[in-house]
Amino acid sequence: MLEVFVFSTLNGLVTGLLLFMLASGLTLIFSMMGVLNFAHASFYMLGAYFAYSISLKLGFWAGLLVAPILVGTFGALVERYALRRVHAHGHVAELVFTFGLAFLIEEAVQFFWGADTKNYQSPDLLDFPLFTLFGQEFSAYRGFMITISVGIFLALYYVLTRSRIGIIIQAAITHPHTVASLGHNVPLIFMAVFGVGTGLAGVAGVIAGPVLTTFPGMAVVLGSIVFVIVVIGGLGSLGGAFVASLMIGLLQSYAIASNLGMPDLLNWLGLEFSRDHPLNDLWTLTLPQIAPVLPFLLLVLVLIFRPTGLAGKREE
Amino acid sequence: MGKFAAWVGYLIVLLGLPQLFDSVLAITIFNQMAIAIVFALSYNMLLGQGGMLSFGHAVYFGLGGFMAVHALIMIEFETVYFSITLIPLVGGLIGLIAAVFVGSFSTHKAGTVFAMISLGIGELVAASSLIFVSFFGGEAGVSADRTFGPPFFGVEFFQDVEIYYLSAGWVFVSTVFMYLFTQTPAGRMANAVRDNPERAEFIGYSARRVRFISFCTSGFFAGVAGGLFALNYEFITEENLNAVTSGRVLLMAYIGGLGYFIGPIIGAVVLTLMNSLLSNYTELWMLYLGMMFVLTVLFLPRGFAGFIMMHQTAWLRGKLSSLFLPYLITGTPAIMFGGSILAAIEMLHHEGEPFGFLFLTLDSGNTLHWLALAAVGAASYFACRRSLGQLNVAWEEANRMDNPTEGGPG
Amino acid sequence: MSILSLHNVSKSFGKTEIIRGVNLDIQAGERHAIIGPNGAGKSTLFHLISGKYQLSSGRITFRDQEIQNRPPYEIARLGLARSFQVTNIFPRLSVFENVRCGMLWQQGLGYSFRHLLGRQTELNARAIHLLEEINLADRADFPAGELAYAQQRALELGVAIASGADLIMLDEPVAGMSLSEAEAAVSLIRKITKGKTLVMVEHDMNIVFDIADRISVLVYGEIIASDSPQAVRANPKVQEAYLGEAALAAAGDNDA
Ligand SMILES: Nc1ncnc2c1ncn2[C@@H]1O[C@H](COP(=O)(O)OP(=O)(O)OP(=O)(O)O)[C@@H](O)[C@H]1O
Ligand SMILES: [Mg+2]
Repeated sequence: MLEVFVFSTLNGLVTGLLLFMLASGLTLIFSMMGVLNFAHASFYMLGAYFAYSISLKLGFWAGLLVAPILVGTFGALVERYALRRVHAHGHVAELVFTFGLAFLIEEAVQFFWGADTKNYQSPDLLDFPLFTLFGQEFSAYRGFMITISVGIFLALYYVLTRSRIGIIIQAAITHPHTVASLGHNVPLIFMAVFGVGTGLAGVAGVIAGPVLTTFPGMAVVLGSIVFVIVVIGGLGSLGGAFVASLMIGLLQSYAIASNLGMPDLLNWLGLEFSRDHPLNDLWTLTLPQIAPVLPFLLLVLVLIFRPTGLAGKREE
Repeated sequence: MGKFAAWVGYLIVLLGLPQLFDSVLAITIFNQMAIAIVFALSYNMLLGQGGMLSFGHAVYFGLGGFMAVHALIMIEFETVYFSITLIPLVGGLIGLIAAVFVGSFSTHKAGTVFAMISLGIGELVAASSLIFVSFFGGEAGVSADRTFGPPFFGVEFFQDVEIYYLSAGWVFVSTVFMYLFTQTPAGRMANAVRDNPERAEFIGYSARRVRFISFCTSGFFAGVAGGLFALNYEFITEENLNAVTSGRVLLMAYIGGLGYFIGPIIGAVVLTLMNSLLSNYTELWMLYLGMMFVLTVLFLPRGFAGFIMMHQTAWLRGKLSSLFLPYLITGTPAIMFGGSILAAIEMLHHEGEPFGFLFLTLDSGNTLHWLALAAVGAASYFACRRSLGQLNVAWEEANRMDNPTEGGPG
Repeated sequence: MSILSLHNVSKSFGKTEIIRGVNLDIQAGERHAIIGPNGAGKSTLFHLISGKYQLSSGRITFRDQEIQNRPPYEIARLGLARSFQVTNIFPRLSVFENVRCGMLWQQGLGYSFRHLLGRQTELNARAIHLLEEINLADRADFPAGELAYAQQRALELGVAIASGADLIMLDEPVAGMSLSEAEAAVSLIRKITKGKTLVMVEHDMNIVFDIADRISVLVYGEIIASDSPQAVRANPKVQEAYLGEAALAAAGDNDA
């Protein structure tokens, strides 16, 4: 029991931190442009694919370095030449645009890389068990994922709260006109933030690709979850996104690991139903079965009872 | 009485199509169009008229469809006894019930909150449908046979064309009712709430209630579309209520044009055609669809219908014909440019093997082909760029206002 | 008989108390002006009465019903109409639709989806008539968002009065209008409020003294005087707190 718990916690932590890498960029972009970037997970996918192609020629580490830069540059270009244009037509148009972009990127990935799963491998260097607990191995690569994610969180936190550029960014988000009149190039700042945000998603893709498999559907798998996190955490709140990421990561991990379900509940209540009961599916429901649904359930509940999210102050 | 004529024309087109094209493929496509039109119109009721961006509209379509298939099964096993012509109504009622339930908490706000709730509900329902196998049939879905019900004036619906006429009837009636809805106080206030929910409250209307009414009506018609789907295909799967279907209807309505009643009809027709015809010619049609969608959002924010309506002023002034030549001068190189891009994409796709492209045979192994393509592409690009000036001048000329404060079409 | 009364109404945003225990009685049929320096809380008072904001404490009765903290649409249905200081119309609807929407509820059409607007001949005629009165008849089919500023102000007024409510509250209806436009608007206001009750916030003293039967002076969230124009003019407290300032401001510009 304890062993399951420890490993679920570790796995949940890995997933949660990974989710945070995506959610942090998404939240930054949201605070900046006031619109959710539906294509955010597509940049994550691009990161994985770019890194895969690079790793074939130059190895994993080159991919880790170059792919996020490529993704970030692409993101910045998208902001500069497309989003800025759509912005004039309002939020719905922006949201719909990023939705279309996600669709297009998925198709483009299939075009360039094919529809099959890519054999994108973690580096040999990290191919050893970091430690063994209760007879189970925890791979060094997962430890590496945790290190990178935590490193990024700290760096982001430092840049945003301590550095000059971070202060300018924060000011530009809330008071773009004032910042512009102080002589800063606000559109450039926005473009840079978009580039960095998508670049972060790229990093997540690079390091998640080997573990979560690199295939054209990987954006869809994570895309809506990241949305959920950002909304639950409170739109625009980095701290909220951090908490929500860990929460969702752990929640899913525990739900998958536990084999509790309705049968146990019914047992406990002393109830019994025959297999022909019309609601048999309901009576045999188990937690691992509903694990993928939990984030969305949480999303709907949060939106109904606390539309600003757990940490958010701002509505809409 | 131009409107009346338009409706009669619509009905004639709907009923006349199978007379003009009677191949099996054509009938299949018409059936798909019929479903898509009702679905897209119902979606526009939310987004275009009510300002509610939904990422989960397939829920009402799918639930309606599932219940419709189950109703067909019940007819087959004589649990119930009614004509299958009423199946879309079953779908509609289920769509309505689902919308009443979801709308009771999701219409509180429009904007991002509404969009996110719709996304969450969409994912929830799609995931649950895979869990509750006895009703939704898991990955395989559920299927039925539509030919068991009592004959409808002797028709037993063995053939797709018979279903088409039935669908056409439902499409016409649904379109009429959805149009009439836009002309009622509830429909007009939906527009008002879309524009300015706050002010609507100060003239006596609860924005939430107004949204709720639109939402439910829209759910009803989405369910009707689901019922038409069930009748046509006689089966339905989880895919018909998941995010893919929700995305597709958003695409249709947006590409067609949200601001106009006929926009979604155009979108439904164009997308269904692309879906069925293009997929015969190229494996990459989804990629092209994505490109078209993104380009539409970027350059035609009001969709195809908006593009057509842009010419209303020129038409009213009788100057539309003056635009013909300028359009030709710019359009030809533009189409050639687009064509060379497509050719390049196809060449990349067909690596190493020759393939037919329009009336040409292209081979990506042939450097000459690449060079020629690049030349045509570059030339047409610059020709198009250069001709934009004359198009602009002609456009200004055709739309020049006699009265300086008069604006374009709404 | 008073149609609207405020009892000890207070409103705080966070720690700052913007409205501090306001008592006010509006008599049925009177034209009542509320004046006060910028930031005194006049618009906030309007928002409290019309239901946009919740009260921190106090009571508001309209026609002997308590209306505090009820949603705006319920208050509007009781026959209280208002306009906004910052234009607040339906930008994508046509000008005609804007005023017609303003009429729908009182016409008893509610949320109906059984009536066709095109068939409501009498309603449509009334909407056209109102457009003529506010001088926008030739703009009837225009999207409201494309109107010039002064025309939007006129439409703002039109939407407010469309319902034919008994109590009409106008928040700086003529601010930003040219002199002639303002004059036209004032005579229109006078005409349409005949037999009704008017509460109006206005900075232009000429208009205020011209139109009002009674004036209340709001300073820092408190009513310091509520009386006939002559009495208010003579009130030393008012002169000290407000009129001197306003005279200065009016000399510069009649800003919003
Ligand atoms: N939603 C709010 N939150 C916080 N403070 C507010 C809010 N609304 C108004 N205030 C403050 O309340 C005070 C009164 O504002 P209000 O708009 O009511 O003044 P006013 O008398 O209408 O002024 P003006 O003549 O400029 O229109 C101002 O100091 C304003 O900053
Ligand atoms: Mg004010």
